[in-house]
Amino acid sequence: MIASIASQGGFLLLLSFFAAGALGALAFRKNDALANFWSSAFAVGGSLWGIIFALSIFISGTTLSFHIAAALSPFLSISFAVGALSAFFIFIISLVALFASIYGIGYVKHYYKKYTIGTLGFFYHFFIAGMLMVVTASNAILFLIVWEIMSLASYFLVIYDRNDPKNIKAGSLYFIMTHIGTAFIMLAFLLLYRYTGSFDFGVIKANSAAIPMFAKNMIFIFSFIGFGMKAGIIPLHIWLPDAHPAAPSHVSALMSGVMIKTGIFMMIKLFFDVFTTAPLWWGVAILVIGSVSALLGVLYALTEHDIKRLLAYHSIENIGIILLGIGSALVFSSLGMPALAALGMIAALFHTLNHAVFKSLLFLSAGSVIEGTRTRNIEEYGGLMKRMPETAFFFLIGSMAIAALPPFNGFFSEWLTFQSLFAGIYSFSSLVVWIFILSAGTLALTSGLALACFVKAFGATFLARPRSHEAACAKESGFSLQFGMAGLALLSLVFGLFSGSIVSILNAVVKNISGLRDAASIVAVHPAQTIAVNGFASVSAPALFAIIILALALSVVAIKYLVNRKQNIKTGATWDCGTDLTPRMEITATGFSRSIIMIFQGILKPSFQTDIEYNDASMRYVPKSRTATMHLADFYRVRFYDPIRFGFMKISGYVKKIQSGNINAYILYMLIVLLAALLSASLF
Amino acid sequence: MAYNFLSFFVIIVFLTVVFLHVTRKNSMVIALYAIQSAAITLILFGSFFETHAVSLAMIALLTFAVKVVFAPLFFTRLIKKHRLTFSASTYLNVPLSLLAVALLAALAHSRIFAPLVAIMPDHAPMITLAIAVMLIAFLLIINRKGILSQMVGILSLENGIVAFSVLSGLEQSPALQAGIMFNLVIWVTIASIFASMIYRHFGSFETTVMKHLKEE
Repeated sequence: MIASIASQGGFLLLLSFFAAGALGALAFRKNDALANFWSSAFAVGGSLWGIIFALSIFISGTTLSFHIAAALSPFLSISFAVGALSAFFIFIISLVALFASIYGIGYVKHYYKKYTIGTLGFFYHFFIAGMLMVVTASNAILFLIVWEIMSLASYFLVIYDRNDPKNIKAGSLYFIMTHIGTAFIMLAFLLLYRYTGSFDFGVIKANSAAIPMFAKNMIFIFSFIGFGMKAGIIPLHIWLPDAHPAAPSHVSALMSGVMIKTGIFMMIKLFFDVFTTAPLWWGVAILVIGSVSALLGVLYALTEHDIKRLLAYHSIENIGIILLGIGSALVFSSLGMPALAALGMIAALFHTLNHAVFKSLLFLSAGSVIEGTRTRNIEEYGGLMKRMPETAFFFLIGSMAIAALPPFNGFFSEWLTFQSLFAGIYSFSSLVVWIFILSAGTLALTSGLALACFVKAFGATFLARPRSHEAACAKESGFSLQFGMAGLALLSLVFGLFSGSIVSILNAVVKNISGLRDAASIVAVHPAQTIAVNGFASVSAPALFAIIILALALSVVAIKYLVNRKQNIKTGATWDCGTDLTPRMEITATGFSRSIIMIFQGILKPSFQTDIEYNDASMRYVPKSRTATMHLADFYRVRFYDPIRFGFMKISGYVKKIQSGNINAYILYMLIVLLAALLSASLF
Repeated sequence: MAYNFLSFFVIIVFLTVVFLHVTRKNSMVIALYAIQSAAITLILFGSFFETHAVSLAMIALLTFAVKVVFAPLFFTRLIKKHRLTFSASTYLNVPLSLLAVALLAALAHSRIFAPLVAIMPDHAPMITLAIAVMLIAFLLIINRKGILSQMVGILSLENGIVAFSVLSGLEQSPALQAGIMFNLVIWVTIASIFASMIYRHFGSFETTVMKHLKEE
């Protein structure tokens, strides 16, 4: 039974679910309800099958490798390989797609008669199918094709709400950046082809020893830029905070929770599976960039008051955390410490899974809030806990998970990342140790700031009083939205409580990666889900859970006892200094984060603009209102991308001069080029 | 005998393209093109006499119909319709044009084209001339401002390619050649209509007037 599922037929069935979903959605595009039903049914069915397929691969322990059309040309063969690592990513994609699709059933209804639902379904299915093929393609050319399918489908999803010019702009930026990334990936693949004579990943892997070190380094740089662009590492991230929020919320969940991980998947595949040995500087570079991404990602998130942009910046932060795991694994691997390398890799993979779950949950919750309030501005929320209690509960779980609070899943993967970094600290005595010390410090700071950020996000959104009419009139979202969120919230807890079992599975996944195959396991999982790292540290999720529940219960009982002891309860109006409480008396999201931003003003460069409106403008004695607006200079855009853009514009201005509008001149250019080509051919 | 026959017509093709640079009257441009095309037709007939392939004769006849009859007729009607006796506008004057022609002819004889000439060493001088025809035709398109001269320049370039392919033994299948002829008919028709439209819109046959289409 399992063997028949974990087969070529099983994989093709998985793809056919999404193909049928895409074509059907397009066929029924004139009937929004039918297109939604068809699209959602096939997306849910396909996702469920994807989970079953991935689990079957895990259980059977086989690596599925097959050609659908072998050698269409000397370069392209439609061939796939599904090993444990691919199956792990198929599992993540399918899991998030399942709940995002259920959520989408109700969520897309607000697009009825505004946009074509069939088109959304068409690109949605292609997007998921593209991601599934990206993690399974075993030929570089095929990989580029499916990578492009994924990128283009997601581009069309970003600009789906096309009436908003900001979305079109965000889509254009995403389109340009993703294709710059693809260009770098192509360069890396061409170099691989140059030295191995094949585009087949299997052949490349077998001949990787023949690649000279300089070429290896160039391949590393090109692929790290290319896949890092998709993953959203700083400073290649500028498309991400614009594009992810622009898409419909269930698509945002998939983009932020899953799509950016395809870049991580390829980094692992190239740096650990294809190249089994790596120079030290690769790992050090990844550690440094991971630290910078993690810290700056969370700092930028703190300054945001657009709920979806805030979450998008947290994706950058979490990609940074994942890179810390990968970077430490690469350092250990290059210094001949495979057991510790496996620890770093387990941490990275576990955080990849966890981030996919809680970030999707947060995006879906944010979508629910936006659906209820019709705004993404946190400053206009407030008091939503009373109006949207279920959404508030799910958002709280997501917030706790992303802030790495036990017993939710985020805590355990960050704990493992810390263990990996600590292992670096006590294993080395050279300069490398300082990289690990700084990385661990950055991770600790990042975790604290993430907690502060989600205190702000949750507090400003759900607590206190509504700060806008929309927030005051907000209503809880429908069943399918709640179901999607509930599923992911439950998984956040389950993956935390059963973190030991997941680590065991990840141990097996890591053994499937060529560079870590012979690594002795130093992560032991004891009964009762206790994870122990090399006798250095251990953690038990159930024990933590029990302690937290017990502590909470004792606190409640103790406070109740102390407060209520010998007291007569008297109910009366709250003394508020003689004035009515209004939402203006609340601390805003900007106000909350201001003090933290000021600490990091050297990095963030904030600017404040204060405006005063007077009751009598001519007298200017009695202010009617005072407003303070905080702006943050977009450092990367101003210092990095804008100079490049201006350079291009200037060159384009010069180049435009040859575009005289004169046909004769154009033909003259052709003749010159022709003669130059002939001349160069005769010379060389 | 066959060699002399071929050489004679290739020289005619070459001379016509050179004279196209000198002439100013549109009717002469058409006449020169018709002569050049007739020479190409005869080269194709020569090929037929060598191989006795009926399909080649058919292609030669088709070439005659399209290039010697149809296209010149079409252009003549265009001249009469818009009373375009002269097309004197060039970027280079006659001496400079001839200098450029000489340079291109010299280039065709240079080492750059040696690999192409080496395809059929027996026809080396003629292949060189065919390459020169192509380059000089290219120059005609660049140098002339009038759309009619440019169209004839493109057709001369095509004649040069045909001469080159026949001389170097790179003739394509008859079906493909027939397709090319059909393509040529369509192209001449569309280009003439397009030229008429330009005249109606801008009141001139000079392509430089189309600069006004450029985004300011």
